[in-house]
Amino acid sequence: MIWLGWRLQRTETIVTAALLALLAVAFVPEGIHLANLFDQQHVARCINSQTQACSFVVGNFTANAGSLQALFDGGWFNLIPGLIGVALAVPVLLELENGTVRLAWTQSVTRRRWVTTKLGLAVGTVLLAAAGFSLLFTWYQRPFDQIYGRWDKFDFDWIVPLGYALFALGLALAIGVLLRRSALTLVIAFAIYVAGRLFVESWLRKRFIAPLSSTWGPHSAGPNLSKAWVISQTPSDRAGRPLPDGASVFQECARTGVHGFKGVSQSCLARHGADFTHAVYQPASRFWEFQGIDTALFGGAALLLIAFAAWRLLASD
Amino acid sequence: MSVALETRGLGRRYASQWALQGCTLEIPRGTVTALVGPNGAGKTTLLRLAVGLTRPSAGSVRVFGLDPRAQAAEALPRVGFLAQEHPLYGGFTVEEMLRFGRELNPSWDDDSARDRIAALDLPLKKKVRSLSGGQRAQVALTLALAKRPELLLLDEPVASLDPLARREFMQSVVEAVAEHELTVVLSSHILADLERVCDHLVILAHGRTQLVGSIEEIVASHRLLTGPRDEAEDVSQMHEVVRESHAERQTTLLVRANGHVYDSHWSVHELDLEEIVLAYLGQDAAVRREAVLS
Repeated sequence: MIWLGWRLQRTETIVTAALLALLAVAFVPEGIHLANLFDQQHVARCINSQTQACSFVVGNFTANAGSLQALFDGGWFNLIPGLIGVALAVPVLLELENGTVRLAWTQSVTRRRWVTTKLGLAVGTVLLAAAGFSLLFTWYQRPFDQIYGRWDKFDFDWIVPLGYALFALGLALAIGVLLRRSALTLVIAFAIYVAGRLFVESWLRKRFIAPLSSTWGPHSAGPNLSKAWVISQTPSDRAGRPLPDGASVFQECARTGVHGFKGVSQSCLARHGADFTHAVYQPASRFWEFQGIDTALFGGAALLLIAFAAWRLLASD
Repeated sequence: MSVALETRGLGRRYASQWALQGCTLEIPRGTVTALVGPNGAGKTTLLRLAVGLTRPSAGSVRVFGLDPRAQAAEALPRVGFLAQEHPLYGGFTVEEMLRFGRELNPSWDDDSARDRIAALDLPLKKKVRSLSGGQRAQVALTLALAKRPELLLLDEPVASLDPLARREFMQSVVEAVAEHELTVVLSSHILADLERVCDHLVILAHGRTQLVGSIEEIVASHRLLTGPRDEAEDVSQMHEVVRESHAERQTTLLVRANGHVYDSHWSVHELDLEEIVLAYLGQDAAVRREAVLS
């Protein structure tokens, strides 16, 4: 039964492995280079230092280090856990579409065992592949995490990719047992995956735990936001209320300095009562809490979907 | 004689449509039964119910006294099933299909499976996808036989095959029956495909069983009677009338005779199996026609 399960998802497993290998070929040499550069230039020592020399070191590192960083722009890599998930639903979908379940379910093994083996293998492979994906990027990101904090690449690191990939698998399985048509199922499942991710990322996630907020004046450094997830940061009055006509105040207070540097006149802002800053943010300390909530959300939805698929397979005709 | 397959009031409904309804029958062990009926009569539904692919909406089905769904672990190894489309994994080689059978069936007879494949001249390394329809049917039958079932269910096994492949396939079934103690149920909408190999018959039409019995008994008991119209009533009280047609004075009755038919007013003709089957399959249409005319 294990042989059969493996034989039937061999192609999908190889395709997934090839995709991960491709990513590894791109990111492993670059990651090694980054880590070396980080050590050689003693960037770690400079991270919390405010000296001019140190900000030069850090700026130099980030400017030269990330030739692959542009690949993260636009969030395209968020599609990869989804691709892994739907790809490994294909063996089950094809069996339903081609009617080979009628062959498999009339051998001597019970349907329960068939369902357990097939779904178990799919879940295992998806988790393994998602773990590989996460491991690659979590490792690659280490130097940047130390500079910017870990929020920046929240979606690729640590445990959340496992939840995302499993979610995509669950969607494809649950839709597949209803439609029994593979191509259509994959399209719908992937679309829902993308919609679900976008919804959580743009709207829901910042509301997992009520964000902190802070208002500080021109002579205060304010809270340390260098590694926090800053949801918004705006000029405001003393009470933290944003100015109703913030844009026009900025225009009015914009000055061109001696060396042609553009700046904003603090005294002008003060005259308008706008020399305070108001920030809404999630502190760095909440990173793991958010990883946990995100994973529980997608992983939990995935388990429900997979349980539904299993139940339909066991009860179906 | 003990029973291999038994149904009681068995029914299966899809949405509001009954695919099979009130089906009660017994298939004795060691028999080869033809399950005959037009397309959509419920043959596939009955066979799928018997192997546990489908769940009954009403009544019960037992194979060797076991519920094929609730007691699948005990029932499945004893039943071989060949679905109509002969589903196989297209990307597997013939050898991998045999391995599939071996992995999923504890009682798998690998030697006989390989012998059969060799005797059929099927290349082990060839992908199932590239085989002909007849060859695929033979691979599917090999899988079903090497499982060593006691009951073999074949759903329209030859419908998709050309005449030569049809003959070869039925020959394989006959040989398997002769070699092992096998109870076989095969369905077809064409009686001629099955007549030579079967000793029992089940006729299904419109989701209901029309006739169940041994072919010998069926042929022996059915008679075509022609006689005076005003005495038709008396005959129908004695014998079960399957079909009737009336002329002005004369009536023709196809009856399942209850004992011997003798009456000097009626001429009695014997019928062959095909005529009997056609009478049963045409039954409803004939009744409807009568209803419209009267």
